[in-house]
Amino acid sequence: MCDSCGCGDTNLVPIDVQQRILSENDRTAAHNRHHFVERALLAINVMGSPGAGKTAVLEATARALSGRRLIGALAGDLATDHDATRLEAAGIRASSITTGSACHLDAAMVHRALHHMPWSDLDYLFVENVGNLVCPAVYDLGQAANVVVLSVTEGEDKPLKYPVMFHKADLVLISKIDLLPALPDISLDRIGESLRRVMPDPRVIAVSARTGEGIEDWIAWLAAQETHVAPAHYAEAGGRDRV
Amino acid sequence: MHEYSIVQALYDKVAAHAAARQATRVHEVRVRIGELSGVDVGLLETAWRTFRVHTICETAPMEVDRVPGDDLVLERIVLEVP
Repeated sequence: MCDSCGCGDTNLVPIDVQQRILSENDRTAAHNRHHFVERALLAINVMGSPGAGKTAVLEATARALSGRRLIGALAGDLATDHDATRLEAAGIRASSITTGSACHLDAAMVHRALHHMPWSDLDYLFVENVGNLVCPAVYDLGQAANVVVLSVTEGEDKPLKYPVMFHKADLVLISKIDLLPALPDISLDRIGESLRRVMPDPRVIAVSARTGEGIEDWIAWLAAQETHVAPAHYAEAGGRDRV
Repeated sequence: MHEYSIVQALYDKVAAHAAARQATRVHEVRVRIGELSGVDVGLLETAWRTFRVHTICETAPMEVDRVPGDDLVLERIVLEVP
């Protein structure tokens, strides 16, 4: 009741909140990131459309890094564990996150998945997000970097149609470039031009998981990211300097 | 369609503030949504109207301030307290 005049009206109390709506996710993501940094583990959030070639790029990454880096992956999909099975066959320690109907991974899903897979000895952890160019961009998972895989068959203007996803990308891998001879209307330059219009700091590597073209540039980019994850840990560990 | 997940997180926040003050009703919820937040305001409003039914927010409109950048912020709520 209104105390001041006894009119019988209920009190309306405005509260200035000013909190991030996803602050709970941010908190869990910070917790994940703390774990990763503590273990000098480079965690990469891999996003892209369904069929962009995310799994194929990770398979090629495993082939290229064999004996040089210990890598793991969490594969998010609405249903099936096909991707995790493929990744394991490629020598990646992998676990599935089956989201049911959710169109993205969140930090809590990643945290739960880490309880079901040994990860603390890994050098790299790839979180293969649900195939989707919209929703995954909104959720911090605790990663060191966002990588978006964009295949040449998706069209040159995809970055302009889905600007938020590409705006958040630290690196875009243009995949399936071995198909370019069959796609006379698609130009890598024009894809790059679209990316430069939406990425604040455009970094792009063109790759083919099939032929291996560009994969060494991607590996070098990954190695460069290691310095962002607790450099002191890398110096102390010593033995990690294997590239 | 992650807007329902966003609304779930938004509702949890509003409900926690309401419970902390023993509020009987929520009168208004005001949010700030950035152009680059990855959230579609129309879908968010639809999700809010669907989600609020049979909750303490049943009659609370969601006011949206659209801004540049990637903000996704609960700015202000108005609570009815005894």
